[in-house]
Amino acid sequence: MSAAGPQPGWKGVLFRYETLLLAVVLVEWLFFYHYGTTTNRRGVVVGFGTVDRQFDILRHSCEIGLLALALTPVILTAGIDLSVGSLLGLCAIVFGKLWHDAGLSIPSAAALTLVAGAVAGGLNAGLITRLGLPPLIVTLGTYSLFRGLAEAMTHGAVTYTDFPAGFLFLGQERGLGVPTQAWLFLLAAVAVWLLVHRTTFGRSFRAIGFSPEGARYAGLPVARRTALVYVLAGLIAALAALIYTARLGQAKADAGTGYELFAITAVVLGGTSIFGGRGSVTGTLLGVAAIAVLKSGLACLPVVMRMNAAQEMSGILTGALLLLALTGSILPKILSPFRGRPQAG
Amino acid sequence: MNRYFREISVTMALGVVLLVLAVFAPAFYSPQPLLSLVTREAPTLVVACGMVLVIICRQIDISVGSVFSVCSICAGLLAARGWPLAGSVPAAMAVGALLGACNGFFVAGLQLPSIVVTLATMVILREGLNLLQQGAFVNLPDRVQWFGLSQAAGQGVLVAFALALLVALGLGMRRIAAGRWVYAVGTDAEAARLAGIRPRLLTFFVFVLMGTLAGLAAAMNIVQSPQVQPAVGTGLELKVIAAVVVGGVAISGGRGNVWGAFAGLLLLACVSPALTHLHVEAYWEKAIQGAIILLAVVADGVRQQKTAGGHP
Repeated sequence: MSAAGPQPGWKGVLFRYETLLLAVVLVEWLFFYHYGTTTNRRGVVVGFGTVDRQFDILRHSCEIGLLALALTPVILTAGIDLSVGSLLGLCAIVFGKLWHDAGLSIPSAAALTLVAGAVAGGLNAGLITRLGLPPLIVTLGTYSLFRGLAEAMTHGAVTYTDFPAGFLFLGQERGLGVPTQAWLFLLAAVAVWLLVHRTTFGRSFRAIGFSPEGARYAGLPVARRTALVYVLAGLIAALAALIYTARLGQAKADAGTGYELFAITAVVLGGTSIFGGRGSVTGTLLGVAAIAVLKSGLACLPVVMRMNAAQEMSGILTGALLLLALTGSILPKILSPFRGRPQAG
Repeated sequence: MNRYFREISVTMALGVVLLVLAVFAPAFYSPQPLLSLVTREAPTLVVACGMVLVIICRQIDISVGSVFSVCSICAGLLAARGWPLAGSVPAAMAVGALLGACNGFFVAGLQLPSIVVTLATMVILREGLNLLQQGAFVNLPDRVQWFGLSQAAGQGVLVAFALALLVALGLGMRRIAAGRWVYAVGTDAEAARLAGIRPRLLTFFVFVLMGTLAGLAAAMNIVQSPQVQPAVGTGLELKVIAAVVVGGVAISGGRGNVWGAFAGLLLLACVSPALTHLHVEAYWEKAIQGAIILLAVVADGVRQQKTAGGHP
């Protein structure tokens, strides 16, 4: 997160925020490997250090990871999307309805679900770019709207189950040795990474995040680029909905409740500035890893298991980590002789 | 008309909803259910008043729901230990003020973005409460409920108190210098600083006030039921922010007032009973609330584009 951009050579790599975060993830992992792995009475290794547990972490972090990937370009443009978790729920229901009630085949239902996600993202995009409304409020409205539509479509009770085994393979089995959805996640991560770091699109996201007015004077189509990130977020949320449905084997209206908070936490923890303009996909991935390892590792610690408090502890520690990362990110500014102008969130 | 367009249009929308209810569902106006509905919203109104100040100051606080829960449980535990209300209510407010001061320290002191800070404190407080309380309910002694008065009297006291607070804040924001400072800082913090206001100190105190009001609202909430459940206040932040935004308080700071937020809150609060009385399925509530929020901001956006003459 250095303001002047990466320094050349090994120093640049060493002093980057991502490197620090990678170290944090590794320390976390080693800590849990040491304290979270035990041998049970039959002499079988259980707990954190097993391959199964590692795959479990991967499996459980795919959906939040996808949402975090979707939010990275959004936050780079100094926007925010609170609706991704609700959209995940809506897309899961749309998928279930298309497959179960409309009788479509799985591939065509999935394709239509992706379209629905993109359209819903387009609603956000249209309101934000056409009318110049603040993203926080627009997506707060659609946060309510999407979840409400999902509840209204199912009357809050219907759950779609009995998906064919071929579809469940996506979420519950292994393909080429690792959980199948990890491949999709990897694909999405590479695609977003290329978009953000290797195309002019990514550069324009940053430019818009630093100064929309400046970007406009530089000849960038600000409205179209901004719209793109929200449509992309909707598309990725729909993909996450498919994976969620395949993992649990059921589509219900409360799918993904609260996921947006974890996704935003992962992005900000990954070093992307909430004011826009700065950040990286690598950082987001490391942020997701930091949260996922923490969550899974705590569940393996004997002391936490005794207290039956894995979820609570991981929430508290994730929040504390976020505050710590934020405070750390502004340390240079505080220590420098020139105090920055007050900024508002 | 122009200046108070939003406040007036929201009030008119509320009037239309009330009129429709009067024609199609007169049962909505039977006194006891109506008083109960208004009493349930009284604590929300108190939190919304605080949120108006926070948003006018160009900040946001999404931890109010968690602060509300923590204060509820604190007040409940103290009351269960035999503290009189005169002790447990100020205690809840003090806890709220302390938590608000934490937010204020990070936002105003360290200049961190309020949305992320309060996101973090929201999760920390919520999970911390779950850890300590493990989902256990707190049973309250009988004399706590409705302040030991009859139900109708207790409800009247709560509503009157919330309205008094609303009027006090409404007048204060308009007449008192500190109220004008909040607008000044929200409009342009740097200009406010040059005018001799201390924006960071003011922001800090706005967060402290927000916490205090959340604590007060928690105390107003626990007297309504014989038990306190730890999940109370979950999602309160979004409800409150929605009401405030529908009421015309600009998220970009410096614009809006508590009256609009009051109308917005009543409008959103009417949705659920209106659905019941008009025989629409209750599952639509969230979708309709979301649509109202979007409608309100779209109206704003269209109007701004018109006044700005096409592109902003």
